[in-house]
Amino acid sequence: MLYLILPCLANAAEIDPLSLVGGLKRELPARTAFTEVRFSHMYERAVVARGELEYLGPGRLGKRVDTPYTETTTIADGQVNVQRGSRKPRQISLDRVPELEGFLRGFSALLGGDATALQRDFELTSSGDTAHWQLRLAPKDKRLGKRIDAIEVDGGGDTARCFRIIDADDDVSILLVEQLAAAGLPDPLIRKSVERICRDGVATP
Amino acid sequence: MQRFALLVGWVAVLVGVAAYAAHALKLSTDLRSFMPPAQTADQKLLMEQIGEGPGSRLLLLAIHGEADERLAELSRALSVALRGDAHFSQVVNGEFDAGMLDETLLPYRYLLTSSFDDEPLNEALLADELGQRVEDLGSPAATLLKPLLPRDPTLEIMKLAERWSPPKQPLVREGVWFSPANEALLLVQTHAAGFDPAAQGEAVAAIQSSFESINGVGGKAELVISGPGYFTVLVNASTRGESEWLGRISTVGFILLLLLAYRSIAVLGLAALPIASGALAGVAAVAVVFTEMHGITLAFGFTLLGVAQEYPIRLLSHRRAGETALESVRGLWPLLLTAIASACIAYLAFFASGVTGLMQLAVFTISGLLVAGFSTRYLLPRVLPLKFRDAADTPGLGTVWNWLEALPRPRWLPPVLLLFAALMLWSASTPFWQNDLAALTPVPQDLMQREGRLRAALGAPDVRYLLIVEAADAEGVLELSEKIAPRIDALTGQGAVAAAELPSRYLPSIATQRLRQARLPDRSALAAMLGAAETDLPFRAGLFEPFLDDVEKARTLEPLTPAVFASSPIGARIDAMLVKREGHWLGLGTIIGMQDPAAFDALSHETGGAVRLLDLKGASESLVAAYRERILRAFGIAIVLLVATVFVAFRDLRRAWHVLAPMTLATILVLAVLRFGGTSLSLFHLVALTLAAGLGLHYALFFERPTPDAAEARRTLHATLVCVISALLVFALLAASSLPVLRAIGLTVSLGVGFHFCLSILMARKGRTRDAR
Repeated sequence: MLYLILPCLANAAEIDPLSLVGGLKRELPARTAFTEVRFSHMYERAVVARGELEYLGPGRLGKRVDTPYTETTTIADGQVNVQRGSRKPRQISLDRVPELEGFLRGFSALLGGDATALQRDFELTSSGDTAHWQLRLAPKDKRLGKRIDAIEVDGGGDTARCFRIIDADDDVSILLVEQLAAAGLPDPLIRKSVERICRDGVATP
Repeated sequence: MQRFALLVGWVAVLVGVAAYAAHALKLSTDLRSFMPPAQTADQKLLMEQIGEGPGSRLLLLAIHGEADERLAELSRALSVALRGDAHFSQVVNGEFDAGMLDETLLPYRYLLTSSFDDEPLNEALLADELGQRVEDLGSPAATLLKPLLPRDPTLEIMKLAERWSPPKQPLVREGVWFSPANEALLLVQTHAAGFDPAAQGEAVAAIQSSFESINGVGGKAELVISGPGYFTVLVNASTRGESEWLGRISTVGFILLLLLAYRSIAVLGLAALPIASGALAGVAAVAVVFTEMHGITLAFGFTLLGVAQEYPIRLLSHRRAGETALESVRGLWPLLLTAIASACIAYLAFFASGVTGLMQLAVFTISGLLVAGFSTRYLLPRVLPLKFRDAADTPGLGTVWNWLEALPRPRWLPPVLLLFAALMLWSASTPFWQNDLAALTPVPQDLMQREGRLRAALGAPDVRYLLIVEAADAEGVLELSEKIAPRIDALTGQGAVAAAELPSRYLPSIATQRLRQARLPDRSALAAMLGAAETDLPFRAGLFEPFLDDVEKARTLEPLTPAVFASSPIGARIDAMLVKREGHWLGLGTIIGMQDPAAFDALSHETGGAVRLLDLKGASESLVAAYRERILRAFGIAIVLLVATVFVAFRDLRRAWHVLAPMTLATILVLAVLRFGGTSLSLFHLVALTLAAGLGLHYALFFERPTPDAAEARRTLHATLVCVISALLVFALLAASSLPVLRAIGLTVSLGVGFHFCLSILMARKGRTRDAR
């Protein structure tokens, strides 16, 4: 009995959240396609968006949505620039919404594999084994905590598969990235089955 | 024994009068009770707006000394604390406040917003907005917007919040306002008027104690307060502090001087009785006649009453062996009475001026001088100790007298001095009059600079200019201000002003609200539009039920009026911008960063003056100028009365000339020296000049008096020297003050005393008894 458990324990001991984050570091610029599935109590059905996520260095992010609408969001130097379709681009200074800034800073630190920066804004915990790990980032800032419960990351080895942003009201937005970005989505599209794909790293056939 | 009883009785009466005066007289600190009644419409508005206008009730707060994050936290905590404080009508720090409209007022947003003016709420517009919301929900801002969506899918609350945020937004960091110099900024409006030091003091103390409790013990952050109200508190405290401090020093000096001159402690106390009686009588008289008096008037009154200190000194110096104090005072009385009577008659002119402040001054001074004079004549001699030292025996006095007598008295001196004075007056390049009200209560330059810096960083409105929008009623004001809004925008575009805020920015007219109401779809129409707009969108059925409710409610609401709106934070702003006057209403638009006031002329012309720019500084200066004109007229009459009184008293042209000529020349010289030194004259200088002239009249009167013997001449010199030195002690110290108000009075009186003394000696008649000693 014991010899069955031991390897698991050894495996579990190796899952250190800091080294997990460190493992996510990539050559710049790092790009990945994504599929975002958003479940909200405001929606009758999940909303799916596809596009590309881009990490250009500390505090610099880009998100391009191609379907079902076109939108390019770039974040740099504390400024958020949103360009939707043919509309006039909008600029938002992150200084106006400090809680959002903490969130984006954390997200960018996560993509940059910068554990130290990440720990400034979030409490880090992890579980699982090296092939199927899960990282949970809970915001330290109370104001952000009122809006976001946690960011969860599923991955295996040094690759993230899914980012899950869980709002305080339990709405969730799941970003499937890297090899899962092009994965087929389950039908019916429900939260549990998308989460299972993330955990297993295998798309539904 | 009888002397002692009289003394006790005298002091008892004084205590009684003091108790009455303290009970009956209300001391006002409102600048308006010092000012003359307003004549023009702008002056009337100024009198209301001075201290009560939206700009002057603002306090600017800056927190510095810590990292940005901590400063932002302090700013949020302080704004929460101050919003709960009854002293303040508005507290803003740049935070987005969705609670800007009360829950009950929320449906009104469809009457307040201009979003659907160009294109009414319809299916296409709604579909477009809802599509954007889906995108918003996929963006990082989703968590911020989510709570608003079901009730407000077109985000009208956000649009209104944007419209109502200050027209010149300060920098925002960490969610709150910051200055370029790394200070977290807050803007606080007090309920109290800006120039009410007591109420402003309370408000400032409330801010400070809130901040201290938030900052915690050992907190490194520091709070800086600025704004007209704060300056009122500061100037009041520093003026009082410094004048008390200087007063204490000069009191000590004065006591030493009297001890040295009369070598008696008892005499010291007794000599203070007449002037104390005079002052108390003055206060009591004002209390009976007016019940309220301005602090500045009282200060002027005490200054002018300084002349009365001469009366007991004259008596004390002129006592001589073999004569009772009563007999001595009888000998002096005709001259003293001439001085008192001429001063009192002169002050009657002030009483006739019709300006409340000046009338109070006249009542105070006349009753004070009379009581001080008559108590010196009838009471003081009866309580003085029998033993005394003859002032004529003071060592060295004879030498001084001989030296003074031996001085040449060239006849050409007065005309030459007059010529010099004329040259100095002519060459002075600064404006003759100081009309700036702020110069009466100056604020240190570095604080003014800080104020300017914070005001610019906050985009806080100018305190100098107001844009007046006048109409028959509040609705008319709002309609007119809606009508001219595009014109003001154009002026802003041209760069004439950085920004302007009209009342209609906060509240549309009832007509506009009704128009918007009529264009809102009814519930079933809106539900149909919504259904169609939502077809391709993921929103849950029934999610926007609260939106349907609010629009339906908005359709039947009574339009929002200033009175109903006033209960909310934003409503308080519109309330401050609308003023009811007899028969009409005024809207007070605020101006930020005025560049070209003349650019508003055309607008004013087109609207027949209904829309006009009010320059508060200009209006207040015209008010001060008008006030000064009345004071000068009173002075002119006073001088004529004084000259007439002296001539009547002497019934001798030559003697009268010898008294009046040095006085006049000395006054002209003081003016010339002040002007040559670059001083622009204010009311304070005028009052100080009057005091100096009153003292000069005494010097001239006594030096002109024929003396029977050398000893009596020495006594005159003794008395005059004690008077001159005591006046210089008090006023030279004031002249050294750091506060322009005190300096103006001190310098003027000191110069005056010097010139009057020298000239009354140099222009006195020659050929009096030489002293043998």
